[in-house]
Parts: sequence; C-alpha cells; structure tokens
Amino acid sequence: MVANSALAPLVPRGTRPGGRGVHRKNATAYLFLAPFLILFCVFVLAPAVYGLWISLHIWNPLLPNQPFVGLENYTQLFTPGSLTSGDFWESMRATGIFTVASVPFLLVIPLLIAVLLNQKIRGGTVFRAIFFAPYVLGVAVIGVIWRYLLDPQLGVVNHLLGLFGLTSDVPWTVDVPWVWISLVAVTIWWTLGFNTVILLAGLQGINKELYDAASVDGAGAMRKFFSVTLPGLRPVLSFVTTVTILASANMFGQSYLITHGGPGHATRTAIMYIADEGLSQNQMGAASAMSYVLFALLAVVSLVNFRLQRDKSE
Amino acid sequence: MHRKYGRSVLAAALATGIGAALVACGGSSGGGASSGSGAVSGGAYSGPAVTISFWNGWTGGAAPVLVPELIKKFNDSHKNITVKDVPMQWGDISAKMPLAVKAGKGPDVSVAHGDDLATYAAQGLLLKSDGIVKSLGYTASDFPAGVFNAGHYNGSQYAIPWSVTPLGLYVNKSVLKQARLDPAAIPTDKASYLKSLDALKAAGVKGEWVDGYVFTGTFEFESLIWQFGGDLYNKDVSEATFNSGAGVQALTWMTDLVKNGHSPANVAQDGNWNALVAGKTAFNWNGVWQTTNNALPKVEWAAASVPQIGTEKAVWSSSTHWIFMNNKGQDKNKTAAAAAFVKWMNDNSAGWAATGELPADNTVRNAPSLLANYPNLKPFLDELPYAHYETVSPGISAANATITTAVNEAILGKKSPKQALDDAAAKANQLLKQNKSQYGG
Repeated sequence: MVANSALAPLVPRGTRPGGRGVHRKNATAYLFLAPFLILFCVFVLAPAVYGLWISLHIWNPLLPNQPFVGLENYTQLFTPGSLTSGDFWESMRATGIFTVASVPFLLVIPLLIAVLLNQKIRGGTVFRAIFFAPYVLGVAVIGVIWRYLLDPQLGVVNHLLGLFGLTSDVPWTVDVPWVWISLVAVTIWWTLGFNTVILLAGLQGINKELYDAASVDGAGAMRKFFSVTLPGLRPVLSFVTTVTILASANMFGQSYLITHGGPGHATRTAIMYIADEGLSQNQMGAASAMSYVLFALLAVVSLVNFRLQRDKSE
Repeated sequence: MHRKYGRSVLAAALATGIGAALVACGGSSGGGASSGSGAVSGGAYSGPAVTISFWNGWTGGAAPVLVPELIKKFNDSHKNITVKDVPMQWGDISAKMPLAVKAGKGPDVSVAHGDDLATYAAQGLLLKSDGIVKSLGYTASDFPAGVFNAGHYNGSQYAIPWSVTPLGLYVNKSVLKQARLDPAAIPTDKASYLKSLDALKAAGVKGEWVDGYVFTGTFEFESLIWQFGGDLYNKDVSEATFNSGAGVQALTWMTDLVKNGHSPANVAQDGNWNALVAGKTAFNWNGVWQTTNNALPKVEWAAASVPQIGTEKAVWSSSTHWIFMNNKGQDKNKTAAAAAFVKWMNDNSAGWAATGELPADNTVRNAPSLLANYPNLKPFLDELPYAHYETVSPGISAANATITTAVNEAILGKKSPKQALDDAAAKANQLLKQNKSQYGG
C-alpha cells in the first residue's frame, strides 16, 4: 500500500503525461524524435520490410535472377525432410536450450550480487568493477581464452580437476551435455556484470524509508527482500528479463568460437545457422524466412513476458 | 556477441537490404563472362601505362613483408605497369568481391582458393582466361598433376595456379624415442604405422589424436577415402559418393584409432597439433603451412609424406590460383598488364616457400635451390604426383561442410561411420541439387 506512491517514479504508468497542454509538448517531443525516426525508418524499418520481400524469393545475391517463390521458404521450414527444416529446428532447439539454461542464472545471480553490493560494504566500488570487468571484453577474446582453458586434454580446467583427484577428461568443448555447461557458465561469467549494474541502479532507486517502515513493522531481511526489494525492482526486472531473453536467444559468438556448433550441430544456434545460410551459402531468401520465424517467436515470448510482469505489478 | 548481437535479426535484415541494393546498383552485368584476353604475349605488356589493382588474402606469416617486396620489384622493372597491392582477410575478399566486380570496382587480378573458383566463375565474376593462358605459354604440364584443371569449369579455363598446400605427417621425434622407436624410421604404410602406434601405446602415448573438424580431421578423411580408391562426388558432381565403401573404410580407420586407444575420445580443434608440440603425441596429419609454425623450433620434429593406409597413394591438397576479374567495363589493357604481372610473379615465386606454401610453377618448384633453402618441404614435394585437389563445382563448400559434420559425429561416437556418412550424403545431395538449379552447369 505504501509501496504504490513511493514507487510512482519507477512505474511506467506513473510517468505517463496527462492533462492539457500535452499536444504542444508532444509536437516538440516529436520534433526531437524525428532524426531518430528517420534513421529508424531507413536502417531498421525499410530493411525489415525488404527482408520480408526477400523471404518470398530464392534470393542468391550473386546471381542475376531472384525468382519469386511465394511462401515456399516458409513452408520448407515446416516440411520435415526438406533441405532447411531439419537444420533450422535443430538450431532453434539449441537456442531454446541455451536460453532456458542461461536466463534464470543471469537473473538470479546478478540480483544476489546486486543486493550484496547494495550493502554499505568496504570496497563496494571495487567489487562492482570486478564483476563488470569481463563484460568489457569482446566475444572473440573470451571465446579464445575459454577454448584454451576448457580444452578437454590440454586445458587448465581439467588439469585442476585432476589435481583434486577428480575426473580430468571432461569434454567441456566437445561433447554434450558438457558443451552446454561450458557455454552457459562462460556466458554467465561474461555478462552478469551488465545485469548486476542495472539491477544495482534499480535497488538504489528504492526509497530507503520503505526499509525503515518495514523494520518498524518487524520485518526481517527475507521479508524485506520479498516485500520491498522485489516489488520495487519489478519494472527494472521486467526490462532486464526481456533483454536477457533476447540476448540469449541471439547467442552466436560463444558457440561459434568455443564449440564450433558441435558436436555435430548440437550447439549451432539459430543465429549461427541463419548467418551461415544467408551469408556463406548465399541463400538470403531462406535465411530471411528463418529470421522472420525466429522474430515471431521472440516477439511472442517478449509479449508474454511483459504481460506476466505487468499483471503482477497491478 | 551476446549483447552486441541483441538485434541480430534486424541487423541481418539490414545487411541483406544493403547488399541487395548494391547488387541492384551494379546492374545486370552478371551471367556469361566475356572472353577479354587482352593484348599480351609471352608475359610482356606493351600497351599504355596502367595501374592495376591486386586483391589478396596474404595477411599473415611471411607474406606481409614478402609481397610488397615482390610488387616493388615488379613495379620498378615495368615502366608501364603499376600494381596496387590490396591485402585483406580471405573472408573479406569473398564477401566483397561479387558486389565490387558487378559494380565495376573490383580488382583487375586476384588470388582465390581452388574451392571458390567454380563459384566465382558461375557468378560471372571471372574472365575466361584461355586466351591469357595461351599467350603466356602455360599448359597443364607446367604445374603439378591435377592443379591446372582445378581452374577449369564448364569448358573454359578460369585460373592459373599459384601455390599448392598438401597435407603431410608431422612427427615429434622425442616422443618416438620415449617409446624406444627409431626416430629416423618414420612409418610409410599401414603396417609400419600401426606398429609404431602400438609401440607408442605400450609406452603410454596415444600416438595420433584424431579430431572431427575441418582442420584437420576432414583433410585426413579425404586423403584416406582417396587412398581407399573412393571419391567425394561423382564425375559431374551431381551426387555425393563419400558414403561409399571406401568412405566408410576411411572413417572407420579414424574412429578405430579412438576405439583402439591410439587417440583420446574428445579432441578439440587444434588439440592434436598442440599435443604434438607439447610432446603428448607422436603423429599429426597437418598441412604444409605448419612448417612455418612458431612453436616448432622448440620441438624435435620431422615431416613426412602421409602414410599409405589404403590401397593406393593419395593425399589431400588445397591450391590457390590467379584469377582475372570480369569487372563491369573491364579495361583490356589492365587485364593484359595483369597477365604480365601473373607471369612475372610465378617466375619469381621461389621465395613463396617461406610462407609454408609450395609454388605451383614446376620450373620454380623443382629448382634445386628451393630444397636447399627449405629442406623441410621435401616430403610435401614428393606427394604432389598423387595429390588430390578441391572439387570443382559452384557452391561446393556448402556440400563439403556436410563431410565435416559426418566426421565430427563419427569421431565423437554420436553415429556409426556409415550412418554419419549416409546422413551427410543425403544432405549433400539436396545441396548439390540446389546448386545445380541456382548456378546451372
């Protein structure tokens, strides 16, 4: 009850403008937004629509003719045994596995770290920097580093396991299910700093008085976390969840560099397959169709996610 | 690329849009290549002064020093030709080339790998070079057997060979000594190879680590299938044949190495090379380019021709070739000057061995001075009479990728060699059909 008014600045509904004089303000706003709108139209909207058009053709950009084939590229994806369907859905499955396996960790671990960092501890800034540090590295760097560290025969990780008397021939980068553990763990290590920093900012936006009020009411640390912290973070968490799901669903570099999509094509993600189909094999039509199927699925997931989070906050 | 590719879907669509727009700007110059041979005879160019642009992927090893030196020498000795050296990554070249050529902004001359030639030719990016070849006086017998024909597509010659890079057997001699094997007696056939592997196993060494990646499990598999008398595709490349009996024998030989304890089960990419350098294994099938590897000088090593496991001698080799670009509005004088440049480069390619590639020109390669300067190349030179080169067919790399998948799945024990090859062949056949319908030929 108290939470509602205190959280007003954080809840999107509370920030919506209302009342008279709005129209004139809107005009100014649109004026400032116009340059971005133009860029958006030229570089996002138009190519997206053009991509839809391409997906209706056999579009090999290197050949003089791009024959129109209607929805064939789409129906192929849903026809078992066709050239693309098996590989595509295998790659979608890989994307799904990675997303389901990584997103919970990428939300829970950063949240816990953010709560810890939010305490007034000595060297908090240092720890924040340490957690964030891996995120500034490029995927090429972390990919190559971890490929060496996780090498099944010559890697440091297996060597250390061996020193502790554990099995020292775990195929971290070569065989399932170990490849998934490696990819998820590396991604968590690499990107948790980003979510941590955003969640930390969210935590610092929660009114301190709420905690005092909760203490007066006799709430313990757990109760405060679930009754004050989590509700206060909901808009931020909603954003972080959506962004994390999208980012995980678009995973490319880690698989490409650490597992090469293997074993077989088990860790070849949808983006990897689409890039290969479109840019290496020059089948832009089929690749565009795949992009749109992936896009549609991600759009549904995002909508469901937003809807779930909003319902809870109301 | 987790975050940065957060909008990959849109970015991909965006790239597609731009790419397609550029094609549109390029006009419809594709399709059949015109046969501009230019005025060139015997490698001398006597036309007006021209500047020609030369794209190459020579960005690593000794090349960045060697190539500018060669080009400077050429420019200094040819008053009416200036060659502009444009090095970039191989991947960038294949990405930029099609659009650049169709827009008339491509290079006049370039270098390409054997498996790209037919794809380039089918797209109309290359000039037919029969006339150039004739005027320069080249015939197939000026190059190692088979490599000149790797530039032949659809009844025309599209390329002139520049270098070849066969697979060989790298040996860590210290490891052989550990197993009380004679480091001078490197195995040459199946019996002696197995004997060495068994001796190594008895000494606790897994003798040859096999991997399921292009570098170099796929190259080893392809060498072996040819050794067992098979081939990757049928004659007109309309059907995959790598799942034949020979293919199954070849792949089974590799999986048996794992089964019989001569190789660990899950070797990562480059794991076998790193193991050889680290003294953990004795043998590695790898390309001639590794002779220039920085880690080797610390190792007591030797190179040999790959052992004959099957019924005949055979080895995988890649090749690189000179190509003349069919730019929109290509200047015939520039092409003629480029031809003179190519001839001069081949004539002066002895130093190219420093990059870990073998010059394709027989006269240059067989000159005694080459082996005097680069004695490590001897076993690779010996292999050339029976080397096999890349399959010549447009879009072939997509079908070739299925071979690697099969090798990977079999080596990791996901499928039996036969099952893996059958599945890959079914996929490859679909791709070959798609290639035929799109590129013709």
